[in-house]
Amino acid sequence: MFVRHAAVNLWRAAIACAVLLAPAMADASDAGVTRLDQLPQTWRDELGHPLAFTDLIGQRVIVSMAYTRCHNTCPATFAQLRRMQELLDARGERASFVIVGYDTQDDDPASWRQYRANRHLARGNWHFLSGTPQAVRQLARQLGFKYWNYDTHVMHDSRIVFFDSQGLLSGAVAPATGDWSGLL
Amino acid sequence: MRRPMNSTRHRLCALALLVAAIAALPSPAVSAAPESQALAEMRKKLDASLQMIQALGERVRELEAKQATAATAATPAPAVAATASPVPAPTMDNARLEANEQRLEQLEKGNASRNADDTGLPLHGFADVGAGTRNPINTNLKGFYVGNLDFYMTPRLGDRTRALFELNTEVSSEGSVDVDLERAQIGYQFSDQATVWMGRYHTPYGYVNTALHHGSWINNSLRRPNFLQFEDNGGIVPAHTVGLWVTGSTRGGAGKMLYDAYLGNSQALVNGVLDMRNAGNTDGKLIIGGRVGFQFNEGATEGLTLGVHAFSAHIVDDALAPNATRVLVYGGYAVYDTDRWEHIAEIYLFDNKDLNGGSGTHRSNAGFLQLGYRAPWGTPYARYERAALSQVDPYFAAQVAGVSYHRVALGARFDLDLKTAIKLELANTRLTDRGRDQYGEGLVQYAIRF
Repeated sequence: MFVRHAAVNLWRAAIACAVLLAPAMADASDAGVTRLDQLPQTWRDELGHPLAFTDLIGQRVIVSMAYTRCHNTCPATFAQLRRMQELLDARGERASFVIVGYDTQDDDPASWRQYRANRHLARGNWHFLSGTPQAVRQLARQLGFKYWNYDTHVMHDSRIVFFDSQGLLSGAVAPATGDWSGLL
Repeated sequence: MRRPMNSTRHRLCALALLVAAIAALPSPAVSAAPESQALAEMRKKLDASLQMIQALGERVRELEAKQATAATAATPAPAVAATASPVPAPTMDNARLEANEQRLEQLEKGNASRNADDTGLPLHGFADVGAGTRNPINTNLKGFYVGNLDFYMTPRLGDRTRALFELNTEVSSEGSVDVDLERAQIGYQFSDQATVWMGRYHTPYGYVNTALHHGSWINNSLRRPNFLQFEDNGGIVPAHTVGLWVTGSTRGGAGKMLYDAYLGNSQALVNGVLDMRNAGNTDGKLIIGGRVGFQFNEGATEGLTLGVHAFSAHIVDDALAPNATRVLVYGGYAVYDTDRWEHIAEIYLFDNKDLNGGSGTHRSNAGFLQLGYRAPWGTPYARYERAALSQVDPYFAAQVAGVSYHRVALGARFDLDLKTAIKLELANTRLTDRGRDQYGEGLVQYAIRF
């Protein structure tokens, strides 16, 4: 009787903890997937070569979305990604950075190639992916990237999703407001 | 039937949490405790619960393995279940787990295969409110104002069919709320190089009219240049056209060639305001125009766009003896839009011919230059705009807003977050023909997107 009563109380406490912790975990749980192999896999990188997310399993993978004509949100996201890269370099750790284009009409491999060149994003572990509208929509939905198109503009938030070296989702953060240091 | 299961589950949960709690205790406290029968009993229970946790862990691993199989192989759920590794003899918990597992697999497959959006039409848009020493549209008013509430809908109809609707509610200068279907266009995308639209669209001239639409949030400045406002806000150039529009781009060596060609109902002047003739016009006259531009994307020129535009229309007013004007407008635009700068310049030259008043041809011009800097804290901007409009030209004489003016404006945009911006603007305007007035303005705008 005592054990059962205690169990019920503990169960309630666990639920209460979960409720309290929910906001903090919302970023990760919004994602809807837990592994890289659950994402769409047919992409082309900035050189036009096919690339699948599963090709990157074996080291940490950091995923964000952007579009080349964005001058507000995306530059700030890239600044955060660069800081992550610097931190990893300082630690001597490796990771793949993957940026998927929102704008399937304009952001083809040639656009991303030019984007990289103009912004001196020359690191080989940075991949800029283009895909079909369906693949981009599915990826965005699975990883919790909310966006909509307003003519030539893409209305979107800033978000970075982290996968560990096994390809398992380890967290997500809105870099403008969230602290990502614990996710690296 | 459910009570024993709940009890078991509670017990499992309690034990798991108890184990976790005890494991979290500092070890010295544990080692310092005297050996007693109670402790031995507790250890026994702990061992039992650890075994249970281990068993549960194995079960979770099995389930994860099954999910992985389901995600990678597109085989029906029963087949996946059949290929799973052997499981312990079915118990009530196992049966429940199996049922949940199947539901999970179904949900996962459903999610993965849901390529097309079946979640209905998402509702997005913009809104703004503000205050000023003068209303930014109707300068006779001052104080707080409600700006636009703009709903933007783009139903996804297929790979190539496009549709775009923009419904805007705005407060008129009299204070009444007006609802306007600002854009209603349905199109077909033949390729990246060509999309054909039919309906009511933003007339493709210059840069502002097709880049900065009705949502105030999208614009770094607090408002458009006055002569490029929408028709009911004081614009003197037809901002909307009802007709056919072909638009596209082709990639060149150093950038992209952009083009637009359009025709539609020639606009009319009704009560001194341009009307885009949503339902057609009585004389069947057309507005015909086009725009060609080049968007650079290499090195230092990245973000630079240069273009020219022109259109011709036959515009009649609603006077008792209607005036008809062949409006010919041509000009150019330059934009330098980068991560750091936003500079925009546009020029419009009018070469209008009075078709039945006999006053001949009248030349006018209007233009603006806006310089903006994207600083980490905000986007300050400065703008100079002017319009020198012939008052003997029946096209401008019949327009309430057909006034020549100079305006200097200084402003800044501050983004509170990714969806909210506050904009400030100080402006000085001098009217140079009708009225010859001069006034200053201090404006604040609170704009959001949703």
